[in-house]
Amino acid sequence: MKVFRNPDILWREEEDSKTQAYDGLTKGDDVSEIGTSVLFSDGVMLSLNVLGTEIWKRCDGRSEDEIVSELVALFDVDPDILKKDARLFLSQLATKGFIHYDE
Amino acid sequence: MMNNPMLKAPLTINWALTNRCNFNCRHCYSRTDPSQELDGPTLKRCIEKIVKAGVLSINFGGGEPLLRKDLLDIASISSQQGLRVSMNSNGFFIDKEKAIQLKHSGFSKVGISIDSHLPDIHDNFRGIKGSHRKAVCSLLYLNEAGIKTSLSTVICKINHRDIHSLIDFALQNKVAQLNFHNFKCSGLGYSNRDELDLSPPEWKEFYLKAIAEKQRNKDLEISLDDPIIASLGLSQDNNSLVKGSVCGKLSLNIKSNGDITPCGFIPIVIGNIVRDDLKEIWFKSSVLEKMRNKKPTGKCATCSSYDDCLGGCSARALALTGDFNNPDPHCWEK
Repeated sequence: MKVFRNPDILWREEEDSKTQAYDGLTKGDDVSEIGTSVLFSDGVMLSLNVLGTEIWKRCDGRSEDEIVSELVALFDVDPDILKKDARLFLSQLATKGFIHYDE
Repeated sequence: MMNNPMLKAPLTINWALTNRCNFNCRHCYSRTDPSQELDGPTLKRCIEKIVKAGVLSINFGGGEPLLRKDLLDIASISSQQGLRVSMNSNGFFIDKEKAIQLKHSGFSKVGISIDSHLPDIHDNFRGIKGSHRKAVCSLLYLNEAGIKTSLSTVICKINHRDIHSLIDFALQNKVAQLNFHNFKCSGLGYSNRDELDLSPPEWKEFYLKAIAEKQRNKDLEISLDDPIIASLGLSQDNNSLVKGSVCGKLSLNIKSNGDITPCGFIPIVIGNIVRDDLKEIWFKSSVLEKMRNKKPTGKCATCSSYDDCLGGCSARALALTGDFNNPDPHCWEK
């Protein structure tokens, strides 16, 4: 199944926060609470951390497995945990109508 | 997913392109504001500025934005630069042809102000006979043109007991969203507040009923934009990134002369889009800094809901008490 962003969603990266998050990652800090992007549509708004943002940016027709394997190369995390977290995150986005799945 | 991020720029700019209007609404916030208007080329440069800053959407208002002859050009410029374009209108000038032109110029959504499902009440409130009929027709034309519509209703004495009828009316007219706007004591809304505004217990009663209807009606998106709702302690979908008023945290307002204010109902000018850098204002305005870090006073200081509502509507507190840190005058808490 391929994952696609809902084109009605407005979004942008927050560059200063992104720099802060990546600086933190290189130091081994917990950066999960730093919002590096913001998404909104018709009053529904989300702020995503660095992992969420990198997943979101790849929702352009790639499959879940492709997204996860790319992120494993980017982040120093257990692939199984990342896969589980990514699946949960994508299902939350799908519930909110921010992404959809297609063949 | 997290809350309360400090954004690099507003997500949305609410831009009052003109204060001219063909209506005489009794609650109008801008009728008493004589601000001049920016010319087209200046507006174009300002729109480029806000795009460069990172703003994602622009909502035109006024006055009646369609009284600006260059509205379609302004919208085209905005949408071509990637902004999501919407507006609030009274609908009077939107016929079939205009609706198609609005679609072609990039409008994705238009909110039509309708204060009552009953034509006579709406017409009397808006000061123009036939305005209800025109507004209803505009919804039809906009829907046909493929523009998402919303119905904007300012809750006050004339309609606060009509929740069911307003929802039925919205469904009949196939709007995507029904916005119950809270009454602001600004402009004529301030002058006519004794006649129009609800008492705190009436606000509480309204919101309890409206939230129940919102949860019951899944075919219609019902929006309630009042931060004091948080003090009811009801579990609602929290769709906002911030608590309290969104003004100055997610959005800013630009007046017809380019003056920037935290919101359309707060008359404190914090800069001018023609002259100033938007991001500098966003990060350095002492007014915005204070609004983002309100200090509880009076009953807010000991209220257990303060962390959720942050004192309610800052504009209303400022208008009626002179300090946006004071409790929202609509608040029903003792």
